[in-house]
Amino acid sequence: MAANIGILRRPIAPTGVWGWMTTVDHKKIGVLYGVTAIVFFVLAGVEALVMRAQLAQADSDLVGAEAFNALFTMHGTTMVFMVIMPMGAAFFNFMIPLMIGARDVAFPRLNALSYWLFLFGAILMNVSFFNSSAPDAGWFAYAPLTSTEYSGSSGVDYWILGLQVLGIGTLSAGFNFVVTIVNLRAPGMTLMRMPVFVWMTLIISFLIIFAFPVITVAITMLLFDRFFGTTIYDVSAGADPLLWQHLFWVFGHPEVYILILPAMGIVSDILPTFSRKPLFGYMTIVMAGTVIAFMGFGVWAHHMFTVGLGTWAISAFSIATMGIAVPTGVKVFNWLATLYGGSITFKTPLLFALGFISMFMLGGLSGVMHAVVPVDTQQQDTYFVVAHFHYVLFGGSVFGLTAGLYYWFPKITGRMMSERLGKLHFWLMLIGFNMTFFPMHILGVLGMPRRIYTYSGDQGWEGINTFVSIGSLVVASAIAVMLLNMFRSARVGQPAGNNPWGAPTLEWAIPSPPPHYNFAVVPTVRSLYPLWDEEANVVEPPELPHFDETAIHMPSPSYWPMLMAAGITLAAGGLLVWQWHTIFGLIVSSSSGLLVLYSIYRWAFEPVIAAEALEDVHH
Amino acid sequence: MGRLSHHRGPLSLVLLGVAFLAILGACSAPQTTFDPRSDTADNIHTLYILVIVVSGAVGAVVLLVMGYLLFRFRARPGVPARQIHGNSKLEVAWTLGPILLLIMVGVPTVFGIVGAARAPSADAILITVTAHQWWWEVDYEGLGPDGGSLATANEIHIPVGREVAIHLESDDVIHSFWVPALIGKVDAVPNHPNDLPVFTATEIGSFYGQCAEFCGAAHALMRFRVIVEPLADFERWVSALQTPPPPPDQGTFVASGQAIFISSCSRCHTVFGTPAAGKAGPDLTLFGERLTLGAGIMDNTPENVEAWVTDLRAIKPIPEGLLGGRADREAMPTFAGTLSKDEIAAVTAYIQSQTID
Repeated sequence: MAANIGILRRPIAPTGVWGWMTTVDHKKIGVLYGVTAIVFFVLAGVEALVMRAQLAQADSDLVGAEAFNALFTMHGTTMVFMVIMPMGAAFFNFMIPLMIGARDVAFPRLNALSYWLFLFGAILMNVSFFNSSAPDAGWFAYAPLTSTEYSGSSGVDYWILGLQVLGIGTLSAGFNFVVTIVNLRAPGMTLMRMPVFVWMTLIISFLIIFAFPVITVAITMLLFDRFFGTTIYDVSAGADPLLWQHLFWVFGHPEVYILILPAMGIVSDILPTFSRKPLFGYMTIVMAGTVIAFMGFGVWAHHMFTVGLGTWAISAFSIATMGIAVPTGVKVFNWLATLYGGSITFKTPLLFALGFISMFMLGGLSGVMHAVVPVDTQQQDTYFVVAHFHYVLFGGSVFGLTAGLYYWFPKITGRMMSERLGKLHFWLMLIGFNMTFFPMHILGVLGMPRRIYTYSGDQGWEGINTFVSIGSLVVASAIAVMLLNMFRSARVGQPAGNNPWGAPTLEWAIPSPPPHYNFAVVPTVRSLYPLWDEEANVVEPPELPHFDETAIHMPSPSYWPMLMAAGITLAAGGLLVWQWHTIFGLIVSSSSGLLVLYSIYRWAFEPVIAAEALEDVHH
Repeated sequence: MGRLSHHRGPLSLVLLGVAFLAILGACSAPQTTFDPRSDTADNIHTLYILVIVVSGAVGAVVLLVMGYLLFRFRARPGVPARQIHGNSKLEVAWTLGPILLLIMVGVPTVFGIVGAARAPSADAILITVTAHQWWWEVDYEGLGPDGGSLATANEIHIPVGREVAIHLESDDVIHSFWVPALIGKVDAVPNHPNDLPVFTATEIGSFYGQCAEFCGAAHALMRFRVIVEPLADFERWVSALQTPPPPPDQGTFVASGQAIFISSCSRCHTVFGTPAAGKAGPDLTLFGERLTLGAGIMDNTPENVEAWVTDLRAIKPIPEGLLGGRADREAMPTFAGTLSKDEIAAVTAYIQSQTID
């Protein structure tokens, strides 16, 4: 046995908790992302329910202003960074290697690092609740409200540091998936034979690579303002606070597409499966996705129509924003055309995909209304906007990701989810969603601003708010049904077999759940729908007589990614300690920094496949 | 909207629904955006209806088509799916179709944006509004007693039928100035002054306004009113603001209130023509004419003023001490411990006695 001079012995084939902590298997990491996202989904949902309880009545004093402001800040931040993004990441991780016929992602340990940074960053931010200083400056944290003068507590610091840690993980995942998709495709899988979900993942990964550095720089400057007394956003030193808004939204608008494109990819793969015909205009849908991504970098100022940018800048961004509706519309029309001539079976994944198309389209239409700048001056920062982005992000992203959950759950667990509970979940969610968010358009029209913890009875908003709060309970019950369905089905669901839906793409060629090496023999691909064109394609050859799965060498587990992520998070946490006690803080940060360096060093010199794992094979 | 209701079919039902909700809103919600009372707000409203009709129609058509396709092509035994991969002509058509619709919306949008940016006319009322955490300072340019500016707070009086041009500044964080019936919102950004589009109020009334950009703890309670009145009333109000009030009769309750006001309140508040000339808080000249207090959050009654002075933190979540760490922006203290009930009642009687006559 080769010597391994670590703190602990390198795990070879660990099981249990230690197995999950040291895993570099893309499938296990995908499950970790998914489970973590669902935990934060429940947390963000509870935050939303408390807000709805507060707003159900006029002049309510259930929670105070401070708590309410923290709730909407954390609800937004959690849903964007800790629920929708990681839920997308769960599917990238689990599905992309399977869909392109690969054994794993390009950098399995980097993949583990991404997950641990996400988890630790999310925990770091939420620890603020226990320190009774949760972030409370809104999820887009406009300067100068975030300065130490106007946000004296450490809430904004938690927000900055948590987001920064999360962001490192997201960026590394972006690079990882670009390299994976570009380099690890099975023979014959040309770019134009990739499932749309793979295309969207590639596009999102580029969006991450170009958008996340902007927010990283923006919050690093905010961090320097708050911790080290620089004056980048300091109004009293002459700063124009619009700098923050430009930086935030140059990131923030592509971020919207980072949140929605996974759902578009999922829906584009689900529709053909359940209408038993190819996607209508595959090339157009892919191109529309790339056009949306490009244009997504040129429309950020539509979040800033009321800040005073000048007539022509506003006109240009207004037209550009309307322009983005064109490729989006093309996608919707192509999805509908995919249904045309089909043989449609209404399984739960398809129901959620149809929910996605219809609700997302309504959100898109209210988005076009916002592009009409004079009208936007009546809608901006009102409940109309709250309704709009929930139609896009809940009706869109969450419905789309839920479709993905029902679609791929059998592949991930080997068991089918209950169709009866699934349909109950869908109808409760569709009805509850519309009860909750449609009336918000009306509240916006009636002049109710967003982010207000209370309103007076004479405003005429109370009845609708009560109705909305009841709707939010229906959504909560839908989520409860979903959780029940997941827990129950994971234990007692019908065995799924390789391809329960009769789907056309590669992930369905192998057993459910897939073996750790994915494909016994790397397939050769000859079309966009390999499992539907059996004549032309031999995907999984009949079991070879001498097939020996131990001959496939998968990367060995490693605990260095997790230790490195812990080091980065503790270094960030050290800054919070530093506020309280300089020396302690310096000690925590610098010793964690050393842990990071040591982890990088050990990681770099650790063989991808442990010598012990190779030896086992030869015995 | 009413003219649309003669048409039949699901589309007009949707529009009818929208119209119904709009009417509902106009009746019961004073801050509604669907009841314009100025030329500028009316232009916005016309555009608003246009985009609702266009988007509503597109949404309804797409949903109906989707419903039809789902019904028509549901799986039936013996009917296989037709293997269609695409159709270039159709795809070009539904790329160009939306472009045409968007031009329909985009052209009036650009005209709307450019039109709203016109310069104020020579006789326009010029007002500078400075947003503070969590109240509004209002200064009328050139209407002051010495030709300078004339100050008030939280309630803006304007004459009906006269153009108004509002210049916006912020003293601390970003706020947003919004009076749905009169004018769409524009943000008050520190170091980045903005001008609202000019507007002319077309009807007399008291209109609700509210800060629309999240600005900290008491954001929800940063409201205001715009009072549109006949020119004669406006001029009477202006001249009363320019004239020092007569001192209260010696020995009266109100006079004792003024003495307490000057000793306890004048560091932060101004009553024009008296020794009270503080600038940290709202100007309280002619406070007796105000409809509301606390930045538009409650009626200006003796009970409310007393409650506010006694312990405003029971009403509005304002932190204690220096706001933004600035010595010139001390939050209003709680007077429960420093003034007796009677003293608070006297102060209340004094400031409410500050009326036009």
